[in-house]
Amino acid sequence: MSPLRPFTALALAAAVLPAAARASGPLEVASSVLVEARSRAADGTTRVALVPARRIVPGDRVTVVLAYRNTGARPIADVAFDNPVPAGLSYRAPAPGSAAPEVSADGRSYAPLAGLRVGMRAATGDDVRHVRWRLDRPIPAGASGRLAFTAVLR
Amino acid sequence: MFARRALAVLTAGTAMSALATPADAQSAAAQTAAGTVVNNTAAVTYSVNGTQQTTSSTTATFVVDRKVNFTLAVDQVGFTQVNLGQQNAVTTYKVTNLTNAAQDFLLDPDQQNISLGILPGTDNFDIAGMKAYVDSNGNGVYDAGVDTKEYIDELAPDASATVFIVGNVPTSASANLAFVSLHVIAAEGGASGTKGAALIATDLNLANADSTVDVVFADDDTDGTLYLGDIARNGQGRVYSGYEVGTRNVALTVAKSAKILSDGVNLVNPKALPGATVEYCLRVSNATLTAAADGVTLTDALPAHTTYVPGSISIGTPGLLGVACVVSGSAEDDDANDAGETDGATASYDTASRTLSARLDRVGGGGATAVAFRVTID
Repeated sequence: MSPLRPFTALALAAAVLPAAARASGPLEVASSVLVEARSRAADGTTRVALVPARRIVPGDRVTVVLAYRNTGARPIADVAFDNPVPAGLSYRAPAPGSAAPEVSADGRSYAPLAGLRVGMRAATGDDVRHVRWRLDRPIPAGASGRLAFTAVLR
Repeated sequence: MFARRALAVLTAGTAMSALATPADAQSAAAQTAAGTVVNNTAAVTYSVNGTQQTTSSTTATFVVDRKVNFTLAVDQVGFTQVNLGQQNAVTTYKVTNLTNAAQDFLLDPDQQNISLGILPGTDNFDIAGMKAYVDSNGNGVYDAGVDTKEYIDELAPDASATVFIVGNVPTSASANLAFVSLHVIAAEGGASGTKGAALIATDLNLANADSTVDVVFADDDTDGTLYLGDIARNGQGRVYSGYEVGTRNVALTVAKSAKILSDGVNLVNPKALPGATVEYCLRVSNATLTAAADGVTLTDALPAHTTYVPGSISIGTPGLLGVACVVSGSAEDDDANDAGETDGATASYDTASRTLSARLDRVGGGGATAVAFRVTID
Protein backbone atom coordinates (compact mmCIF):
# COMPACT_ATOMS: atom_id res chain seq x y z
CA MET A 1 0.00 0.00 0.00
CA SER A 2 1.15 3.46 -0.64
CA PRO A 3 2.20 5.24 2.52
CA LEU A 4 0.88 8.46 1.08
CA ARG A 5 -2.04 9.99 2.87
CA PRO A 6 -3.38 12.28 0.20
CA PHE A 7 -6.19 13.62 2.28
CA THR A 8 -6.84 16.91 0.63
CA ALA A 9 -9.43 19.54 0.24
CA LEU A 10 -10.32 17.91 -3.04
CA ALA A 11 -12.18 15.16 -1.26
CA LEU A 12 -14.34 17.71 0.44
CA ALA A 13 -15.14 19.57 -2.72
CA ALA A 14 -18.22 17.55 -3.38
CA ALA A 15 -20.68 18.85 -0.85
CA VAL A 16 -22.45 15.54 -0.27
CA LEU A 17 -19.32 13.73 0.86
CA PRO A 18 -18.94 13.11 4.58
CA ALA A 19 -16.02 15.06 5.87
CA ALA A 20 -14.34 11.98 7.29
CA ALA A 21 -13.14 10.67 3.95
CA ARG A 22 -10.37 8.29 4.93
CA ALA A 23 -7.71 7.66 2.34
CA SER A 24 -5.39 4.75 2.72
CA GLY A 25 -4.52 4.42 -0.94
CA PRO A 26 -4.70 6.28 -4.20
CA LEU A 27 -8.38 5.40 -4.60
CA GLU A 28 -10.65 7.31 -2.28
CA VAL A 29 -14.20 6.09 -2.00
CA ALA A 30 -16.79 7.95 0.01
CA SER A 31 -20.14 6.39 0.78
CA SER A 32 -23.20 8.43 1.53
CA VAL A 33 -26.91 7.80 1.93
CA LEU A 34 -29.22 10.48 0.59
CA VAL A 35 -32.97 10.98 0.75
CA GLU A 36 -35.31 12.98 -1.39
CA ALA A 37 -36.34 16.31 0.02
CA ARG A 38 -39.32 17.88 -1.69
CA SER A 39 -39.83 21.59 -1.57
CA ARG A 40 -42.41 23.77 -3.23
CA ALA A 41 -41.03 26.38 -5.53
CA ALA A 42 -42.54 29.81 -6.01
CA ASP A 43 -43.94 28.82 -9.38
CA GLY A 44 -45.98 26.02 -7.81
CA THR A 45 -43.82 23.14 -8.97
CA THR A 46 -42.26 20.67 -6.59
CA ARG A 47 -38.50 20.50 -6.49
CA VAL A 48 -36.87 17.30 -5.42
CA ALA A 49 -33.39 17.52 -4.03
CA LEU A 50 -31.22 14.81 -2.52
CA VAL A 51 -30.03 15.58 0.96
CA PRO A 52 -28.15 13.55 3.57
CA ALA A 53 -30.44 11.12 5.38
CA ARG A 54 -31.53 12.84 8.54
CA ARG A 55 -35.18 12.07 8.83
CA ILE A 56 -35.78 8.60 7.52
CA VAL A 57 -38.58 6.23 8.41
CA PRO A 58 -39.65 2.83 7.05
CA GLY A 59 -40.95 3.09 3.52
CA ASP A 60 -38.69 6.00 2.60
CA ARG A 61 -36.61 5.83 -0.55
CA VAL A 62 -32.90 6.41 -0.20
CA THR A 63 -30.03 6.75 -2.65
CA VAL A 64 -26.78 5.05 -1.72
CA VAL A 65 -23.91 6.88 -3.39
CA LEU A 66 -20.30 5.81 -3.83
CA ALA A 67 -18.13 8.72 -4.93
CA TYR A 68 -14.62 7.76 -5.96
CA ARG A 69 -11.51 9.66 -6.90
CA ASN A 70 -8.10 8.60 -8.01
CA THR A 71 -5.80 10.71 -5.91
CA GLY A 72 -2.66 8.92 -7.12
CA ALA A 73 -0.41 9.72 -10.02
CA ARG A 74 -1.07 6.55 -11.98
CA PRO A 75 -4.19 5.10 -13.58
CA ILE A 76 -6.10 2.59 -11.50
CA ALA A 77 -7.34 -0.49 -13.33
CA ASP A 78 -9.64 -3.43 -12.65
CA VAL A 79 -11.71 -1.46 -10.19
CA ALA A 80 -14.57 -3.36 -8.57
CA PHE A 81 -16.86 -1.86 -5.96
CA ASP A 82 -18.81 -4.33 -3.85
CA ASN A 83 -21.42 -2.68 -1.69
CA PRO A 84 -23.22 -5.08 0.64
CA VAL A 85 -26.79 -3.82 0.98
CA PRO A 86 -27.12 -2.73 4.62
CA ALA A 87 -29.60 -4.65 6.74
CA GLY A 88 -32.90 -2.82 6.65
CA LEU A 89 -32.53 -1.62 3.07
CA SER A 90 -34.06 -3.26 0.01
CA TYR A 91 -32.38 -2.68 -3.33
CA ARG A 92 -34.62 -1.10 -5.95
CA ALA A 93 -32.73 0.15 -9.02
CA PRO A 94 -29.65 1.99 -10.24
CA ALA A 95 -29.96 5.69 -9.51
CA PRO A 96 -30.66 7.86 -12.55
CA GLY A 97 -27.38 8.70 -14.24
CA SER A 98 -25.48 5.86 -12.62
CA ALA A 99 -24.20 2.77 -14.39
CA ALA A 100 -26.34 -0.28 -13.71
CA PRO A 101 -24.68 -2.60 -11.21
CA GLU A 102 -24.54 -6.33 -11.10
CA VAL A 103 -26.36 -7.68 -8.09
CA SER A 104 -26.17 -10.84 -6.05
CA ALA A 105 -28.34 -12.53 -3.50
CA ASP A 106 -25.52 -14.61 -2.02
CA GLY A 107 -22.36 -12.58 -2.60
CA ARG A 108 -20.98 -15.22 -5.00
CA SER A 109 -22.94 -15.16 -8.24
CA TYR A 110 -23.56 -11.75 -9.74
CA ALA A 111 -25.88 -10.78 -12.59
CA PRO A 112 -27.99 -7.84 -13.66
CA LEU A 113 -31.18 -7.85 -11.59
CA ALA A 114 -33.29 -8.94 -14.55
CA GLY A 115 -31.14 -12.05 -14.96
CA LEU A 116 -30.68 -12.94 -11.29
CA ARG A 117 -32.45 -16.02 -9.99
CA VAL A 118 -33.09 -17.19 -6.44
CA GLY A 119 -33.78 -20.91 -6.48
CA MET A 120 -36.38 -21.48 -9.15
CA ARG A 121 -37.73 -17.94 -9.34
CA ALA A 122 -36.54 -14.62 -10.66
CA ALA A 123 -34.97 -12.46 -7.96
CA THR A 124 -36.55 -9.22 -6.85
CA GLY A 125 -34.92 -6.18 -5.32
CA ASP A 126 -35.70 -7.56 -1.87
CA ASP A 127 -33.41 -10.54 -2.53
CA VAL A 128 -30.37 -8.44 -3.42
CA ARG A 129 -27.73 -8.49 -0.70
CA HIS A 130 -24.74 -7.25 -2.72
CA VAL A 131 -24.41 -4.56 -5.35
CA ARG A 132 -21.26 -4.61 -7.49
CA TRP A 133 -19.85 -2.36 -10.14
CA ARG A 134 -16.82 -3.33 -12.20
CA LEU A 135 -15.29 -0.53 -14.23
CA ASP A 136 -14.22 -1.71 -17.67
CA ARG A 137 -11.82 1.19 -18.12
CA PRO A 138 -9.05 2.37 -15.79
CA ILE A 139 -9.58 5.50 -13.74
CA PRO A 140 -7.02 8.06 -14.94
CA ALA A 141 -5.00 9.95 -12.36
CA GLY A 142 -7.09 12.70 -10.78
CA ALA A 143 -10.33 11.45 -12.29
CA SER A 144 -13.42 10.84 -10.21
CA GLY A 145 -16.84 9.39 -10.63
CA ARG A 146 -19.98 8.46 -8.90
CA LEU A 147 -22.07 5.30 -8.69
CA ALA A 148 -25.39 5.09 -6.97
CA PHE A 149 -28.39 2.88 -6.44
CA THR A 150 -31.78 3.50 -4.90
CA ALA A 151 -33.18 1.45 -2.08
CA VAL A 152 -36.13 1.47 0.27
CA LEU A 153 -35.92 1.37 4.04
CA ARG A 154 -37.89 -1.65 5.18
CA MET B 1 -16.64 14.94 -16.22
CA PHE B 2 -18.73 11.92 -15.41
CA ALA B 3 -18.93 12.97 -11.79
CA ARG B 4 -20.43 16.34 -12.54
CA ARG B 5 -22.92 14.95 -14.96
CA ALA B 6 -24.01 12.27 -12.55
CA LEU B 7 -24.35 14.72 -9.73
CA ALA B 8 -26.53 16.96 -11.84
CA VAL B 9 -28.85 14.12 -12.69
CA LEU B 10 -28.90 12.85 -9.14
CA THR B 11 -29.87 16.16 -7.69
CA ALA B 12 -32.50 16.75 -10.33
CA GLY B 13 -33.97 13.52 -9.13
CA THR B 14 -37.49 13.88 -10.51
CA ALA B 15 -37.32 10.64 -12.46
CA MET B 16 -36.98 8.75 -9.22
CA SER B 17 -40.55 9.40 -8.20
CA ALA B 18 -41.59 6.84 -10.79
CA LEU B 19 -40.01 4.10 -8.71
CA ALA B 20 -42.48 2.00 -6.82
CA THR B 21 -42.13 1.64 -3.10
CA PRO B 22 -43.89 -1.58 -2.19
CA ALA B 23 -42.35 -1.26 1.24
CA ASP B 24 -45.08 1.24 2.04
CA ALA B 25 -47.63 -1.54 2.21
CA GLN B 26 -45.79 -3.70 4.69
CA SER B 27 -46.83 -4.48 8.21
CA ALA B 28 -45.35 -2.60 11.12
CA ALA B 29 -43.60 -5.66 12.52
CA ALA B 30 -41.65 -6.03 9.28
CA GLN B 31 -40.52 -2.43 9.48
CA THR B 32 -37.04 -1.60 10.58
CA ALA B 33 -37.27 -0.69 14.25
CA ALA B 34 -36.80 2.92 15.25
CA GLY B 35 -33.31 3.55 16.53
CA THR B 36 -31.70 0.98 14.24
CA VAL B 37 -28.35 2.27 12.99
CA VAL B 38 -27.86 1.54 9.29
CA ASN B 39 -24.27 1.62 8.08
CA ASN B 40 -23.18 1.44 4.47
CA THR B 41 -19.61 0.58 3.48
CA ALA B 42 -18.38 -0.64 0.10
CA ALA B 43 -15.37 -2.90 -0.39
CA VAL B 44 -13.22 -1.93 -3.36
CA THR B 45 -10.59 -3.91 -5.23
CA TYR B 46 -8.36 -2.43 -7.91
CA SER B 47 -4.93 -2.74 -9.38
CA VAL B 48 -2.17 -0.25 -9.95
CA ASN B 49 0.40 -1.37 -12.50
CA GLY B 50 -0.80 -4.92 -12.10
CA THR B 51 -0.59 -4.95 -8.29
CA GLN B 52 -3.85 -5.89 -6.61
CA GLN B 53 -5.04 -3.48 -3.94
CA THR B 54 -8.05 -3.31 -1.71
CA THR B 55 -9.68 -0.49 0.13
CA SER B 56 -13.04 0.30 1.56
CA SER B 57 -15.24 3.30 1.33
CA THR B 58 -16.12 5.61 4.14
CA THR B 59 -19.10 4.48 6.14
CA ALA B 60 -22.36 6.31 5.70
CA THR B 61 -24.57 6.05 8.76
CA PHE B 62 -28.08 6.98 9.56
CA VAL B 63 -30.50 6.23 12.37
CA VAL B 64 -33.97 4.95 11.56
CA ASP B 65 -36.54 7.34 12.94
CA ARG B 66 -39.84 6.62 14.61
CA LYS B 67 -42.69 6.55 12.11
CA VAL B 68 -45.70 7.04 14.35
CA ASN B 69 -48.74 5.43 12.81
CA PHE B 70 -51.75 3.65 14.23
CA THR B 71 -55.33 2.90 13.42
CA LEU B 72 -58.28 3.60 15.66
CA ALA B 73 -61.71 2.18 14.92
CA VAL B 74 -65.03 1.57 16.59
CA ASP B 75 -65.14 -2.16 17.28
CA GLN B 76 -68.86 -2.73 17.46
CA VAL B 77 -71.84 -2.55 15.13
CA GLY B 78 -74.08 0.45 15.61
CA PHE B 79 -74.82 2.11 18.92
CA THR B 80 -74.70 0.28 22.21
CA GLN B 81 -78.31 -0.44 23.17
CA VAL B 82 -78.85 0.56 26.76
CA ASN B 83 -81.67 0.76 29.26
CA LEU B 84 -82.42 3.79 31.39
CA GLY B 85 -80.38 3.72 34.57
CA GLN B 86 -77.98 1.09 33.25
CA GLN B 87 -74.57 1.11 34.96
CA ASN B 88 -71.25 0.44 33.21
CA ALA B 89 -72.63 0.70 29.69
CA VAL B 90 -69.82 -0.01 27.24
CA THR B 91 -68.78 1.10 23.78
CA THR B 92 -65.83 -0.74 22.27
CA TYR B 93 -62.89 0.53 20.22
CA LYS B 94 -59.72 -0.95 18.80
CA VAL B 95 -56.27 0.62 18.57
CA THR B 96 -53.62 -1.00 16.34
CA ASN B 97 -50.02 0.17 16.54
CA LEU B 98 -48.40 0.51 13.10
CA THR B 99 -45.33 2.33 14.42
CA ASN B 100 -41.90 0.78 14.00
CA ALA B 101 -41.53 0.80 17.77
CA ALA B 102 -43.53 -0.15 20.83
CA GLN B 103 -45.36 2.80 22.30
CA ASP B 104 -47.98 3.91 24.77
CA PHE B 105 -51.32 5.43 23.86
CA LEU B 106 -53.17 7.92 26.01
CA LEU B 107 -56.96 7.56 26.10
CA ASP B 108 -59.33 10.46 26.44
CA PRO B 109 -63.09 9.76 26.33
CA ASP B 110 -65.26 12.71 25.39
CA GLN B 111 -68.92 13.60 25.29
CA GLN B 112 -69.95 14.66 21.83
CA ASN B 113 -72.83 16.64 20.51
CA ILE B 114 -72.35 16.20 16.81
CA SER B 115 -74.95 17.68 14.59
CA LEU B 116 -72.95 17.29 11.40
CA GLY B 117 -74.32 13.88 10.61
CA ILE B 118 -71.23 11.82 11.30
CA LEU B 119 -73.61 9.57 13.22
CA PRO B 120 -77.33 9.18 12.62
CA GLY B 121 -79.72 10.76 15.10
CA THR B 122 -79.45 13.61 17.56
CA ASP B 123 -77.56 13.53 20.83
CA ASN B 124 -79.82 14.40 23.76
CA PHE B 125 -78.17 13.09 26.90
CA ASP B 126 -74.73 12.58 28.42
CA ILE B 127 -73.21 9.46 29.85
CA ALA B 128 -72.28 9.96 33.49
CA GLY B 129 -68.96 9.00 35.04
CA MET B 130 -67.36 8.27 31.68
CA LYS B 131 -63.98 6.48 31.69
CA ALA B 132 -61.85 4.73 29.10
CA TYR B 133 -60.33 1.39 30.06
CA VAL B 134 -58.04 -1.05 28.27
CA ASP B 135 -59.15 -4.67 27.88
CA SER B 136 -56.44 -6.06 30.14
CA ASN B 137 -57.21 -9.74 29.63
CA GLY B 138 -57.88 -9.52 25.92
CA ASN B 139 -61.31 -11.16 26.08
CA GLY B 140 -63.05 -8.33 24.22
CA VAL B 141 -65.53 -7.83 27.05
CA TYR B 142 -65.41 -5.16 29.73
CA ASP B 143 -64.81 -6.73 33.12
CA ALA B 144 -65.49 -4.24 35.89
CA GLY B 145 -62.66 -4.21 38.40
CA VAL B 146 -60.39 -6.20 36.07
CA ASP B 147 -60.02 -3.85 33.12
CA THR B 148 -58.79 -0.85 35.09
CA LYS B 149 -55.85 0.55 33.10
CA GLU B 150 -56.63 3.95 31.63
CA TYR B 151 -53.82 4.05 29.05
CA ILE B 152 -52.39 1.49 26.63
CA ASP B 153 -48.99 0.41 27.88
CA GLU B 154 -46.22 -0.71 25.51
CA LEU B 155 -48.25 -1.75 22.49
CA ALA B 156 -45.87 -3.70 20.21
CA PRO B 157 -45.69 -3.03 16.46
CA ASP B 158 -48.70 -4.57 14.72
CA ALA B 159 -50.37 -5.41 18.04
CA SER B 160 -53.89 -4.28 18.84
CA ALA B 161 -55.59 -3.27 22.06
CA THR B 162 -59.29 -3.12 22.77
CA VAL B 163 -60.49 -0.04 24.60
CA PHE B 164 -63.83 0.43 26.33
CA ILE B 165 -65.63 3.64 27.13
CA VAL B 166 -67.62 2.84 30.25
CA GLY B 167 -70.30 5.02 31.79
CA ASN B 168 -73.72 5.17 33.36
CA VAL B 169 -77.01 5.94 31.66
CA PRO B 170 -79.24 8.47 33.45
CA THR B 171 -82.78 7.58 34.42
CA SER B 172 -84.50 10.56 32.82
CA ALA B 173 -87.26 9.30 30.59
CA SER B 174 -86.38 11.65 27.73
CA ALA B 175 -82.90 10.16 27.27
CA ASN B 176 -82.63 8.72 23.83
CA LEU B 177 -79.17 9.00 22.31
CA ALA B 178 -75.72 9.94 23.61
CA PHE B 179 -72.71 10.37 21.34
CA VAL B 180 -69.25 9.78 22.71
CA SER B 181 -65.83 9.84 21.11
CA LEU B 182 -62.55 8.20 21.96
CA HIS B 183 -59.54 10.46 21.51
CA VAL B 184 -56.27 8.53 21.34
CA ILE B 185 -52.84 10.17 21.56
CA ALA B 186 -49.61 8.35 20.71
CA ALA B 187 -47.17 8.51 23.61
CA GLU B 188 -43.60 7.64 24.39
CA GLY B 189 -43.01 3.93 24.94
CA GLY B 190 -40.06 2.14 26.41
CA ALA B 191 -40.97 1.97 30.09
CA SER B 192 -43.36 -0.82 30.96
CA GLY B 193 -45.94 0.15 33.53
CA THR B 194 -45.24 3.84 33.04
CA LYS B 195 -47.57 6.20 31.25
CA GLY B 196 -45.44 7.86 28.60
CA ALA B 197 -45.62 11.50 27.62
CA ALA B 198 -47.46 12.42 24.45
CA LEU B 199 -45.16 12.32 21.45
CA ILE B 200 -44.19 15.54 19.76
CA ALA B 201 -42.99 15.54 16.16
CA THR B 202 -39.32 16.45 15.94
CA ASP B 203 -38.60 19.89 14.59
CA LEU B 204 -36.16 19.16 11.80
CA ASN B 205 -34.70 22.59 11.98
CA LEU B 206 -33.08 21.57 15.25
CA ALA B 207 -29.39 20.94 15.00
CA ASN B 208 -27.99 17.44 15.29
CA ALA B 209 -31.13 15.68 14.17
CA ASP B 210 -29.23 13.04 12.20
CA SER B 211 -28.01 10.68 14.87
CA THR B 212 -31.12 10.81 17.03
CA VAL B 213 -34.43 9.03 16.68
CA ASP B 214 -36.76 11.67 15.29
CA VAL B 215 -40.51 11.40 15.75
CA VAL B 216 -42.37 11.51 12.45
CA PHE B 217 -46.16 11.39 12.45
CA ALA B 218 -47.61 9.27 9.66
CA ASP B 219 -51.10 8.58 11.03
CA ASP B 220 -54.25 9.07 9.01
CA ASP B 221 -57.18 11.37 9.64
CA THR B 222 -59.40 8.93 11.53
CA ASP B 223 -62.66 10.85 11.23
CA GLY B 224 -62.43 11.98 7.62
CA THR B 225 -61.77 15.39 6.17
CA LEU B 226 -65.29 16.67 6.90
CA TYR B 227 -64.81 16.51 10.66
CA LEU B 228 -62.23 18.34 12.67
CA GLY B 229 -61.91 15.93 15.57
CA ASP B 230 -58.72 14.62 14.00
CA ILE B 231 -56.38 15.58 11.21
CA ALA B 232 -53.76 13.51 9.42
CA ARG B 233 -50.22 13.33 10.78
CA ASN B 234 -50.83 14.67 14.25
CA GLY B 235 -50.10 11.53 16.27
CA GLN B 236 -53.71 11.43 17.41
CA GLY B 237 -56.97 9.81 16.42
CA ARG B 238 -60.64 10.22 17.23
CA VAL B 239 -63.61 8.02 16.47
CA TYR B 240 -67.24 8.32 17.44
CA SER B 241 -69.83 5.96 18.80
CA GLY B 242 -72.86 6.22 21.00
CA TYR B 243 -75.41 4.86 23.42
CA GLU B 244 -79.02 4.49 22.39
CA VAL B 245 -82.00 3.97 24.63
CA GLY B 246 -83.59 2.52 21.56
CA THR B 247 -85.46 -0.41 23.01
CA ARG B 248 -88.70 0.52 24.60
CA ASN B 249 -90.39 -2.53 23.14
CA VAL B 250 -89.29 -5.89 21.77
CA ALA B 251 -90.55 -8.11 18.98
CA LEU B 252 -92.33 -10.71 21.06
CA THR B 253 -94.25 -13.49 19.37
CA VAL B 254 -96.22 -16.43 20.72
CA ALA B 255 -96.73 -19.60 18.72
CA LYS B 256 -99.30 -22.09 19.89
CA SER B 257 -99.27 -25.70 18.79
CA ALA B 258 -101.01 -28.88 19.81
CA LYS B 259 -99.77 -32.43 19.84
CA ILE B 260 -101.70 -35.60 20.64
CA LEU B 261 -99.74 -37.61 23.15
CA SER B 262 -101.97 -40.69 23.46
CA ASP B 263 -105.48 -41.80 22.51
CA GLY B 264 -105.74 -45.05 24.45
CA VAL B 265 -105.97 -47.07 21.24
CA ASN B 266 -103.02 -46.45 18.97
CA LEU B 267 -99.50 -46.89 20.26
CA VAL B 268 -98.04 -44.89 17.40
CA ASN B 269 -99.58 -41.92 15.65
CA PRO B 270 -102.35 -41.33 18.22
CA LYS B 271 -105.52 -39.81 16.86
CA ALA B 272 -107.80 -37.10 18.22
CA LEU B 273 -110.28 -39.52 19.72
CA PRO B 274 -112.45 -38.76 22.74
CA GLY B 275 -110.33 -39.41 25.81
CA ALA B 276 -107.07 -38.64 24.02
CA THR B 277 -104.48 -36.49 25.81
CA VAL B 278 -103.35 -33.40 23.95
CA GLU B 279 -100.36 -31.26 24.84
CA TYR B 280 -100.66 -27.57 24.05
CA CYS B 281 -97.44 -25.67 23.62
CA LEU B 282 -97.04 -21.88 23.89
CA ARG B 283 -93.67 -20.84 22.58
CA VAL B 284 -92.75 -17.22 23.37
CA SER B 285 -89.93 -15.84 21.22
CA ASN B 286 -88.15 -12.51 21.63
CA ALA B 287 -86.75 -11.56 18.23
CA THR B 288 -85.09 -8.41 19.56
CA LEU B 289 -81.50 -9.42 20.11
CA THR B 290 -80.46 -6.53 22.27
CA ALA B 291 -83.15 -6.45 24.92
CA ALA B 292 -84.90 -8.89 27.20
CA ALA B 293 -88.62 -8.85 27.87
CA ASP B 294 -89.44 -9.02 31.56
CA GLY B 295 -92.65 -10.18 33.22
CA VAL B 296 -94.25 -11.74 30.16
CA THR B 297 -97.76 -12.93 31.08
CA LEU B 298 -99.73 -15.38 28.95
CA THR B 299 -103.38 -16.24 29.32
CA ASP B 300 -105.03 -19.00 27.38
CA ALA B 301 -108.72 -19.95 27.45
CA LEU B 302 -109.21 -23.66 26.95
CA PRO B 303 -111.32 -24.60 23.95
CA ALA B 304 -114.70 -26.27 24.37
CA HIS B 305 -114.84 -30.06 24.56
CA THR B 306 -111.56 -30.25 26.42
CA THR B 307 -110.70 -30.80 30.08
CA TYR B 308 -107.56 -29.50 31.73
CA VAL B 309 -105.21 -32.13 33.14
CA PRO B 310 -104.43 -30.86 36.64
CA GLY B 311 -100.76 -30.17 37.43
CA SER B 312 -99.69 -30.45 33.83
CA ILE B 313 -98.17 -26.99 33.39
CA SER B 314 -94.46 -27.01 32.65
CA ILE B 315 -92.33 -23.95 31.82
CA GLY B 316 -88.80 -23.98 30.45
CA THR B 317 -86.46 -23.93 27.49
CA PRO B 318 -88.21 -24.87 24.25
CA GLY B 319 -87.39 -28.26 22.82
CA LEU B 320 -86.99 -29.26 19.21
CA LEU B 321 -89.91 -27.88 17.26
CA GLY B 322 -92.60 -30.54 16.77
CA VAL B 323 -90.84 -33.06 18.99
CA ALA B 324 -90.80 -31.67 22.52
CA CYS B 325 -92.39 -28.50 23.78
CA VAL B 326 -90.23 -28.00 26.85
CA VAL B 327 -86.89 -29.50 27.71
CA SER B 328 -86.40 -30.12 31.43
CA GLY B 329 -89.02 -27.54 32.30
CA SER B 330 -90.13 -26.75 35.80
CA ALA B 331 -93.56 -28.03 36.82
CA GLU B 332 -95.91 -25.33 38.07
CA ASP B 333 -98.84 -25.76 40.40
CA ASP B 334 -102.36 -24.87 39.36
CA ASP B 335 -103.36 -22.55 42.20
CA ALA B 336 -103.04 -18.82 42.12
CA ASN B 337 -100.86 -18.79 45.24
CA ASP B 338 -97.28 -18.42 44.03
CA ALA B 339 -95.62 -18.61 47.43
CA GLY B 340 -93.98 -21.91 46.60
CA GLU B 341 -92.64 -20.71 43.26
CA THR B 342 -88.98 -19.89 43.40
CA ASP B 343 -87.77 -19.93 39.80
CA GLY B 344 -89.52 -16.74 38.75
CA ALA B 345 -91.97 -18.47 36.45
CA THR B 346 -95.47 -18.88 37.85
CA ALA B 347 -98.69 -20.33 36.49
CA SER B 348 -102.24 -21.03 37.51
CA TYR B 349 -105.45 -22.50 36.11
CA ASP B 350 -108.80 -20.99 36.86
CA THR B 351 -111.44 -23.71 36.61
CA ALA B 352 -114.37 -21.30 36.55
CA SER B 353 -113.21 -19.35 33.52
CA ARG B 354 -111.35 -22.30 32.02
CA THR B 355 -108.35 -19.96 31.67
CA LEU B 356 -104.74 -20.79 32.16
CA SER B 357 -102.25 -18.02 33.00
CA ALA B 358 -98.50 -18.19 33.02
CA ARG B 359 -96.02 -15.51 33.93
CA LEU B 360 -92.46 -15.77 32.61
CA ASP B 361 -89.82 -13.92 34.55
CA ARG B 362 -87.70 -12.97 31.55
CA VAL B 363 -87.40 -13.83 27.89
CA GLY B 364 -83.84 -12.89 26.94
CA GLY B 365 -82.84 -10.99 23.81
CA GLY B 366 -83.05 -13.41 20.91
CA GLY B 367 -84.27 -16.09 23.32
CA ALA B 368 -87.43 -18.14 23.73
CA THR B 369 -89.34 -19.81 26.54
CA ALA B 370 -92.12 -22.38 26.25
CA VAL B 371 -95.16 -23.22 28.36
CA ALA B 372 -96.65 -26.70 28.03
CA PHE B 373 -99.91 -28.01 29.47
CA ARG B 374 -102.24 -30.89 28.75
CA VAL B 375 -105.93 -31.40 28.15
CA THR B 376 -108.05 -34.41 27.46
CA ILE B 377 -110.67 -34.49 24.75
CA ASP B 378 -114.17 -34.92 26.14
